[in-house]
Amino acid sequence: MLRTIRVGLAALAVSLAASGGAMAETIRFGAILPLTGPGAVVGTQEQRGIQFAIDEANAKGGILGNKIEVLFEDNQAKPDQSVLSFNKLVDLQHVPMIFTGYSGPTLAMAPLATRKKVLMVNAGAQSDKLATASPYLFNTLPTTGDEVSVMAKYLVAEGKKNAAVLFENDAAGIGGRDDFRDSFVKAGGKILAEEPSQFGQTDYRPALLKLAAAKPDVMYVVITAGMLPLAQQAKQLGLNFTVAGTSFFSDPDTIADPASSGFIHTQVQISAPPALAAAFKQKYNADMEFFAKQYYNAATIILTALEKVLKDKKPVSGENLRQAIFDVRKFQGLIPMEFKTNTASVALDINVMRDGKDNVLKEMKSQ
Amino acid sequence: MILLQLLINGIVTGCALGVVAISFSLIYSTTRIFHVAHAGVYTLAGYIAWSLSTRGVPSVLSLLGAVGVCAVVGALIQHQLYHRLERRRASHLVVLIASLGTLAVMQNLIAGIYTPNILQFHISWSQGTMRLGGVLLSYAQILTVLMGIAAYAGMMYFAHRTMLGKRIRAVASNPFLAEITRLEPKTVYVIVIAIASAIVALPGVLVPLDLGLQPYGGIGALLTATIAMIAGGVGSISGAFFLSVAIAVVQNLSLLVIPGEWSIGVTFFIFVIFMLFRPTGLFTAR
Amino acid sequence: MDFLYSYLVLAEIYVLLGLSTNLLVGIVGIFSVSQAAVFGVGAYIVAACTMSDTLSFIPALVLAAGCGVALNILITLPSLRVSGDYFVVTSFGIQLLATAIFTNWTDGTGGANGLPGIPPPDIFGLPVAETSEFLMLSTVALGLGCLCFWLAMRAPYGRLLRAIREDELAVAAAGKNVLFAKVSAAALAGAFAGSAGGLYGSFLSFVDPSSFDLDASILLLTMVVVGGARTLAGSVIGPFVLLALPQLLALVDIPTTIAAAARQSVYGLLLIAFMLFRPQGLAGEKL
Repeated sequence: MLRTIRVGLAALAVSLAASGGAMAETIRFGAILPLTGPGAVVGTQEQRGIQFAIDEANAKGGILGNKIEVLFEDNQAKPDQSVLSFNKLVDLQHVPMIFTGYSGPTLAMAPLATRKKVLMVNAGAQSDKLATASPYLFNTLPTTGDEVSVMAKYLVAEGKKNAAVLFENDAAGIGGRDDFRDSFVKAGGKILAEEPSQFGQTDYRPALLKLAAAKPDVMYVVITAGMLPLAQQAKQLGLNFTVAGTSFFSDPDTIADPASSGFIHTQVQISAPPALAAAFKQKYNADMEFFAKQYYNAATIILTALEKVLKDKKPVSGENLRQAIFDVRKFQGLIPMEFKTNTASVALDINVMRDGKDNVLKEMKSQ
Repeated sequence: MILLQLLINGIVTGCALGVVAISFSLIYSTTRIFHVAHAGVYTLAGYIAWSLSTRGVPSVLSLLGAVGVCAVVGALIQHQLYHRLERRRASHLVVLIASLGTLAVMQNLIAGIYTPNILQFHISWSQGTMRLGGVLLSYAQILTVLMGIAAYAGMMYFAHRTMLGKRIRAVASNPFLAEITRLEPKTVYVIVIAIASAIVALPGVLVPLDLGLQPYGGIGALLTATIAMIAGGVGSISGAFFLSVAIAVVQNLSLLVIPGEWSIGVTFFIFVIFMLFRPTGLFTAR
Repeated sequence: MDFLYSYLVLAEIYVLLGLSTNLLVGIVGIFSVSQAAVFGVGAYIVAACTMSDTLSFIPALVLAAGCGVALNILITLPSLRVSGDYFVVTSFGIQLLATAIFTNWTDGTGGANGLPGIPPPDIFGLPVAETSEFLMLSTVALGLGCLCFWLAMRAPYGRLLRAIREDELAVAAAGKNVLFAKVSAAALAGAFAGSAGGLYGSFLSFVDPSSFDLDASILLLTMVVVGGARTLAGSVIGPFVLLALPQLLALVDIPTTIAAAARQSVYGLLLIAFMLFRPQGLAGEKL
């Protein structure tokens, strides 16, 4: 029976190696994203963003003639699956770079990335711990802390000094709440009430009712999914305070719905040119949403870095890619972006939703 | 004021949950199968109705379509899976795991076809609101309450006043005796699951009409419904329904005294303590 | 080779958990779906102790095993009161309660953010940082676990446990102490789960609640069922197969947009097929 296992494992290793060795001319990268389970909402968007950028580059003949391929691994947003996937991609496929998302899995892989000198690029998760988790981890989004403090200062300056917080009861939401607590109080505001919602659960009424009872001037919202039901329920309950939030707000269906009128949020300036968005829509029959744009953008950054590494005739390794990012420093993808540290400094707007559109109120910058 | 609103909100949620509970209770008390895949049927209902209504089918027909499809799917699960397992004298554990497998297949097929994103019905009237005695309710919520009461009343009538209902209760109380008195338990089981699946399709459509659709949400609702069923006493329709309402109301009102992140934990804590001291439930069926 | 090693380490940790689940579910017949909760407590204890430097790895692991024992006795107590499906739901409840605590007790568990930066274990001053070294550690732990399990099952005690599952009343009537047998089995299962948790946390250097939720409990149950209930071989095979399954399924070529969901469906279908055609699992006895 032990023998069966051994034979099975050998077969596994052989088949994996075979699938790896088929095309020698291509440069392979990895991506470890939640493609099943509740996290897949975001994960599949991210996957499409990357794949679209790669297909586009390959259609133009690749990077200096080299075709690019991205190997996708499903981690179900779980840390142990992520570590397995990481080792699989690095050991068996020798990928020098891996796209990740989600705070927990990324934090679990960070020590491995440091040890094995594999570049990781995160364009989705915003936990503050990611900024310092590994020298090989790059974040193309500002951390929640940076983004939240921009909004906190703005709100206090507008005279909205009493806030209630609605947060998702997971890493992203709790991180956002803690950051808001810090920066809002520091800016001179006061937090009257806090209430969580469960990820993937869309009945916000009890929480909204409780928060409304505290009579705040503004409700700060940190949730990653379920914006539209939130907007509709807030409208039905006739809430009369401002609703404010982060980039997570920019969900096209929510913006288009009249219920979201008057919502304000910080927005990482990222927009796809119409031709790109149309091509994306035609390919996937889905809009190019926030995370798709982010990962498309992240992929273009990596491709730029790759081009530099290849031009310098250096081997494509995690170390060289990392150095290339710092050498290039300023990137013009979908948004201008600068890497002074591992976390990008980007332009940040404050937007207001009105008449089915997202309009810029004020332009700011992260960090 | 907030007290009243939370109370009403709890009742609305509870009515939907109650219908899940009575339908699950119908299956469980008759067949003794812990039909976890019921959560998949519940989820499927919403997606069928969504597909129909986005193709321009009138709302009522979409609902009926979902009810019909769910009844067929439920009957197929019984006939193709549970019945076969029964023939092989599978233990409870085996059936439960097969049911979990079925749930995984259903959820992921739905996620594969419709994407895992939260989908919203594009039916404008359902978002309209009405003020009832100082409490704002959406039409979808009002409809949920009416459906809950109707389903409960219908179920009571069905179980106690109709021939088929009596036959089901006879099979439930003693399958062996039912077999030799030619009540055909096997056929009854298929009918029971079909009926229960049709009933669960009602909240399966109305809840997403209010809150949006997602493929992985059914199991949470089913678990709370199961707890209501057990706490209410297995086999008792009233017990399952009113305990569901009570749990939902308590969960809503508990927000006034404890932070929301603990409300689920507290619910289950109370349940575990409850099971230690009164494991047969509040209302004993027979 | 780190991929193979990390796969082996995780599989071995899950085998320890599988032994724990098999002991409770397969042998004594206590249908618990809350073993992941005990697993989690073990992981958090070792994480907290080694991160704060209060205890080194080995004492922390012993503490984790001890807490696993206490906790498992506590959560199997309801099984003495209620039976069958009622206990399943109670057990579901315990699992959800544990998840709520892992997620919300931010000071102790890091909350939903989890605890990053758990130091690698050191055995009497020797650090175990490389995956290959950790593999040796987990193999030793697994060997000890298997030995315990094998010895317990061979002894008269093992026969008593099997007898309880078959007919509890008859065993009690024969003058055997059913209560003691059940509680001690739960204790042993708890020690397995607690120490497995400790190994898991140190290996990943990161813990968060998502590894110890209801899905994890159900995965464990599935491992035992697919491997085969009530045998040592079954407890070993199950985790190895189920951890390899996603990797094997990844080899099937499906369009990327629906690939992930399709794979998960295949996984569900396999479960159904096993239950229909081979309920004793790959190497077990009939459930």
